[in-house]
Amino acid sequence: MAETVVELSNVWKVFGELSGETIAEAERTELSKAEALEKYQTVIGVRDASFSVARGEIFCIMGLSGSGKSTLVRHVNRLIEPSAGSIKVLGEDVGAMGPAELRQMRARHIGMVFQHMALMPHRSVRENVAYPLEIRKIPKSKRWAISDYTLGLVDLTGYEDRLPKELSGGMQQRVGIARALASDPEILLMDEPFSALDPLIRLQLQDQFKVLVRDLNKSTLFITHDLDEAIRIGHRIAIMKDGIIVQIGTPEEIVTKPADDYVRDFVQGISRLKLVRAHTIMEPLSNGDARPDSIRVDGEQDLDSLIDVSVGSEQPLIVTEAGEDVGIITKTTLLRGIQGGR
Amino acid sequence: MNIQASPDDTQDPVTNKASSVKDIEVDRHELDQSIAAFVDRNPQYYAKAFHTIHDTTTGIPRVFNWAAALLGPFWAAARGVWGFFWAFLILEIIAWVQIGRGTWGELGADAMAQAERQTARAEEFLQQAQAARDAGEDPSRFETLGGNLMRAAERSRETAEAAAADAFMILVSGLVLLVVLRVVQGLWSNVVYEKQYTRWRVAPDEVPSGVRVPNVVFGVVLGLIIMPLTVYRFTIENIPDWLTAFPANGDHYGATARWLEAVIDDAARSGAGAFDGIVLAVRQVLDTISLALIGTPWPVVMAVICVFAWRAAGPRVAIFTAAALAYIALLGYWEIAMETVALVGAAVVLCVVIGIPLGIWFGKSQRAYKFAEPVLDLMQTLPAFVYLIPIIAFFGTGNPPGILATIIFGMPPVIRLTALGMRGVPDSIKEAATAFGASRWQLLKDVELPLALPSIMTGVNQTILMCLSMVVIISLIGGGGLGKVILEALQFAAKGPGLLGGFAILFVAMVIDRIVQGAFRRADQK
Repeated sequence: MAETVVELSNVWKVFGELSGETIAEAERTELSKAEALEKYQTVIGVRDASFSVARGEIFCIMGLSGSGKSTLVRHVNRLIEPSAGSIKVLGEDVGAMGPAELRQMRARHIGMVFQHMALMPHRSVRENVAYPLEIRKIPKSKRWAISDYTLGLVDLTGYEDRLPKELSGGMQQRVGIARALASDPEILLMDEPFSALDPLIRLQLQDQFKVLVRDLNKSTLFITHDLDEAIRIGHRIAIMKDGIIVQIGTPEEIVTKPADDYVRDFVQGISRLKLVRAHTIMEPLSNGDARPDSIRVDGEQDLDSLIDVSVGSEQPLIVTEAGEDVGIITKTTLLRGIQGGR
Repeated sequence: MNIQASPDDTQDPVTNKASSVKDIEVDRHELDQSIAAFVDRNPQYYAKAFHTIHDTTTGIPRVFNWAAALLGPFWAAARGVWGFFWAFLILEIIAWVQIGRGTWGELGADAMAQAERQTARAEEFLQQAQAARDAGEDPSRFETLGGNLMRAAERSRETAEAAAADAFMILVSGLVLLVVLRVVQGLWSNVVYEKQYTRWRVAPDEVPSGVRVPNVVFGVVLGLIIMPLTVYRFTIENIPDWLTAFPANGDHYGATARWLEAVIDDAARSGAGAFDGIVLAVRQVLDTISLALIGTPWPVVMAVICVFAWRAAGPRVAIFTAAALAYIALLGYWEIAMETVALVGAAVVLCVVIGIPLGIWFGKSQRAYKFAEPVLDLMQTLPAFVYLIPIIAFFGTGNPPGILATIIFGMPPVIRLTALGMRGVPDSIKEAATAFGASRWQLLKDVELPLALPSIMTGVNQTILMCLSMVVIISLIGGGGLGKVILEALQFAAKGPGLLGGFAILFVAMVIDRIVQGAFRRADQK
């Protein structure tokens, strides 16, 4: 396992004066959001959240509006103070930092992208991107050079001297990404960055972003309300509901083994073709199934490619892992697998 | 009763789909229950009336509320329809006053009394005439007098009778008005009440419903106090003094005024050092600006103003400025106009220097703004004449106190609009800057102030205009400049000098306004 970059343990956020009492009771009982509001006039934003993000990983937090995902991610750079629990960024306890230290951490190690871009309308694109560097009092020549380079990374060369309002929504969000990358932080916090964009631009930016993050080896916390998006770009996904993390897992785990009905409802509409792999749906081999001339597929192959192989032949497919035959997939198994284990 | 859907024939909502819009029917059962909960008393009647109103297509529903027609405003009070209550209470008072005057008002009483006096005098004369005739003297003088008086008495009696006849007409007009009002209330009450019902559905806790005893009592008590007193006042000839004039006590006034004077004198004496310091500081600012404007040779100042107008607001404003300055200079107002400009300049500079930081503070702190808001309101609503007096008491007379008065009047816009601009900065942009590690000072300098700038500039512009209008008034407390010219012209009713000075002020104001607006517009476009 790679080095852990961000680690949240048992983080609570309760809004209201009686947050301590609420947490004390909620830790013992199943105090619901509505009960907390009635009994203590508090709003539970995040409830006992723990997860960690490894270096180079894209960790998605998915949930509907009001599920507390945006609140949760703001704990990482302490835009919101946790009511309880600890947050570590690059091994340092964020909660113990003084104001100057905190600003230092935000400026050097964390870049953030917002749903509504939040660019400064009175500054040019270049000066927007350079702003994190300006905060760190890096000289102007250096700032301009870095921001021009970063704008190049997101294909915006030639737009440096425009104002944000002259750019389209997709371009503005790329400026936002460039700004987050400008101070070369280890961690990116993406708060629904593509939600306000139209679907085509969104797909384009998702792909571009995935490549960019892989090339630059950034660790990313990616908030979204769109499970398709989470599956498309996330290495792991956490699903949130009413402030609770319901399930954490790889896209395949989420789709094939939903933790509860809530997650199952979400997963229903998701195409499994690119997610589910041969070893997940295969059935045990019985004697005589595997003949030398059988068609063999790798356990890591997804359903999409299995269909390609399967349409060319009437025979069942034999699944191999590390050169050994481990299972069998018949046409029925494959069709049921696409449907999703009913 | 027209309840169509009773509970047993309500059908499954899924199978009971309406095939076209005209088949859709209101669920009368549920509506009637809701109306019954609203009206409390007489639910059947009101349910029917409201249905009629709901079904009407002509705009004038055919419903008549006998309770409203008979009880008048008291129906409205009982039902809590207060707007209706007040409107018709006042209208009915007019009707009742007419009725009262027609019935009890002795309208011809004066004339009748006069007629009787005149008759008595006439008879006296006639007796004297008789006595004269008995004595063998000439009675014609007394007879003429008596006859004249008799005729006068006759005329008075006619007037009295005409007035009495008028009384009948007044009575009839009052009765007609009352009947008309009652008919209108009967026709209109259900419509108004139905509107109240619609509002009650939205806010059942705030809109009055049902028949409440306190409402009835309140309405009746109000009616009993207002109506008889008013009718009495207009009907009876000789009314007690306390009904027409408030029984004020002159001693209270004198004592309070003396006490206030003592308090102000004390405060002025004890704070003399601080007040003098303020005056001194203001004088410093004013003297600096005056020196620059008046001390510098006039061609230099004129040229600078014209060039500045050109650069800031374009050639048209520059030409206008040159013409305005020529008018002022040719009529010999140059120095005095520059004094006005210096006064405005000093006031504006102080307003901006004090107002913008205050505005930033009020924009950031909701609590501070809540405390400041009434003070700002007061500063703007108080007529200038009112606070000129304390200004004299604390700061004396002359230009610096005048500037202080101007500041009081002119500062609120820049404070308000700065606060407004600060609050208008989107939270998302502030959050973004914070997320990138900006400190509070960096946040203010890089995000909040630049984004609030258009609003702040509007505030400064308004402050300039308010200060301009105020510098004329400060001539009342010894302020100089063009205001003094106007004041002197006013005192001697000198039309010519007053008009010339007035135009000079107008031109100064227009030049400043044009230049500032032009400069701000250019800054906005950038």
